[in-house]
Amino acid sequence: MQKASTKRMSLLIVCALLTATGVGVWIYQITQGLAITGMNNGSSWGLYIACFMFFVGLSAGGLIVASSASVFGVRDFKKVSRPAVLLSTVCIIAAAAFILIDLGGIQRVFNLIIHPNLTSPLMWDVIVISVYLLINLVYLVLLRKPDEQRSARALAITSRFALPVAILVHSVTAWIFGLEIAKAGWYSAIMAPLFVSSALDSGLALLLVVLVVLNAARLFETSRKLIASLAGLLAVFIAVDAFMVLSEIITMAYPGAPEEAFVLAELTRGTMAPWFWFQVIGGLVVPFLLLVFSRLREKTPVVVVASTLVVLGVFCKRIWLLLTSFIEFNVSGAPGLAFGRAERTATETWTLVGTYSPTWAELLITLGVLALAVLVYTLLAPRLFGTLPTHALHDDDSTERHARADVLLDGPQAAAGTQAEVG
Amino acid sequence: MTRLAIAISQERCTGCQTCVNACKMENNVPMGMLWNRVITVGTDVMDGAVGSYPNLSKEYLPLACQHCENPACMAVCPVGATYKDEKGRVLINYDLCIGCRICMAACPYNARCFNWEEPVRDPDFNYGHRDVPVRPRGVTEKCTLCKERTDADLEPMCVVCCPTRARTYGDLDDPESEISKLIREKHAYQLLPERGTNPQVHYYK
Repeated sequence: MQKASTKRMSLLIVCALLTATGVGVWIYQITQGLAITGMNNGSSWGLYIACFMFFVGLSAGGLIVASSASVFGVRDFKKVSRPAVLLSTVCIIAAAAFILIDLGGIQRVFNLIIHPNLTSPLMWDVIVISVYLLINLVYLVLLRKPDEQRSARALAITSRFALPVAILVHSVTAWIFGLEIAKAGWYSAIMAPLFVSSALDSGLALLLVVLVVLNAARLFETSRKLIASLAGLLAVFIAVDAFMVLSEIITMAYPGAPEEAFVLAELTRGTMAPWFWFQVIGGLVVPFLLLVFSRLREKTPVVVVASTLVVLGVFCKRIWLLLTSFIEFNVSGAPGLAFGRAERTATETWTLVGTYSPTWAELLITLGVLALAVLVYTLLAPRLFGTLPTHALHDDDSTERHARADVLLDGPQAAAGTQAEVG
Repeated sequence: MTRLAIAISQERCTGCQTCVNACKMENNVPMGMLWNRVITVGTDVMDGAVGSYPNLSKEYLPLACQHCENPACMAVCPVGATYKDEKGRVLINYDLCIGCRICMAACPYNARCFNWEEPVRDPDFNYGHRDVPVRPRGVTEKCTLCKERTDADLEPMCVVCCPTRARTYGDLDDPESEISKLIREKHAYQLLPERGTNPQVHYYK
């Protein structure tokens, strides 16, 4: 136990230092402007917006697993509600942080409230993410005492709102890109379903990794059986995501229209190819093959490897999805576009295509947000789950353990039911 | 109603870039950005030609905000900073802009610039028209159709300064205006009509 708490303390210290660094660089960014990033008039969005999409997606897994457990009555999934919803909450806060960090005029951010424009998908996202965050927080509060009659009922009602709002959060985030007729590669009806499916697989994959880590840290216990069954669901989600990507790519490729052909060439053999192929092979094909066979997915290390690959794959997808559409200008010709920085030399002032690479400042701020998310999760987890009695960890899959978990989450009646079934 | 616009003759345009500089001076546009550019269509070198000898062609395209009737940038702005005024100009309220840059992603013409840094001017003073607002760091900016001039019934600076008189300024809603006649008679076209933005800026050859 002593060793575990030392590990936890060092994790907390490292995360706190990284967060502090990130905050420091962010303050520097506020004083200098977004000029310290790699973004420019050609590629006007970069790592922050890619991470925003990524974290909105990651927050899906938790709330969708927890609320579908309640809506569709999947009792097994209810057991992981607490770590799942906490994960969802932390990720959506990180996503919101990225939007704020990306703003060039943070001092005028209150205009979002006093002067909203309701035709803007970004405004819709502000509204939906706020509602989503609120639902997550309500869910967390209710999950503290799920065995009370009153809060069980409130939980059931909240879950009925949580599921559709969760789907909407990903759709609206997709529409920020999918409704832009200016950009080949974004403007597509598949964008919302694609974002929902990416959210489902990356979100569930992250949840699985977190559950395994919590098991190891003895903070929360999830049976190997439940991990395997969630991993089976992950295999299905991966297949759906792959299907969406395939549908989009084939629709873009088949007519051979110049703009789509350009995007496709960049993806498959151009500058974006490493991101694209890592996602397709490392993020979809390999993890699917690892998880589709039930004997393989019962091995926890296999689940961890597959889940990590899915999360990394979806990150790569956010990168290629965002940046590829900035490369070609619809109306192009020399000298191109003024880059947007005064100090550049005469030849560097111009750019014929959209280019972007993140700067150290962007990377440090991004790392800071990531560290903050881990920090908050690590701090809140023991408060929310309590520490497990050591003996409970050893009798894996025992009737006693199942019953105990059910008492925790379904109330005494449900627990009695489980015992009767087993008996 | 009034719909102010510019029609540009690509036959007359010689790619001299005078309108580019006139715009920059008039509108106090900082270093590293331009509201108005003249591109040599389809080339990677200025004043280059397209095709292979002897079948060569060269075409200049002056490019700035198209002052669309259905501006994609306006719809997506979360704070309503981009608006269409009563004279049909697409304008930006710099006090509202939060610098999210969704308008830059939405504009099919790459007409918008962002103040990534504290604006730098060379020479180091505000060289623009005295009534042109000085934009701060963190806001988007673009062609206003020389709002300060056109409000005073003057032509935009790019129109005035064009040595070949390639640019015609006027009101599309007045069927007798010179610009309306030109668009009618020369079968003028719009850029990227398939995007549904319906630009007020027209081109003809």
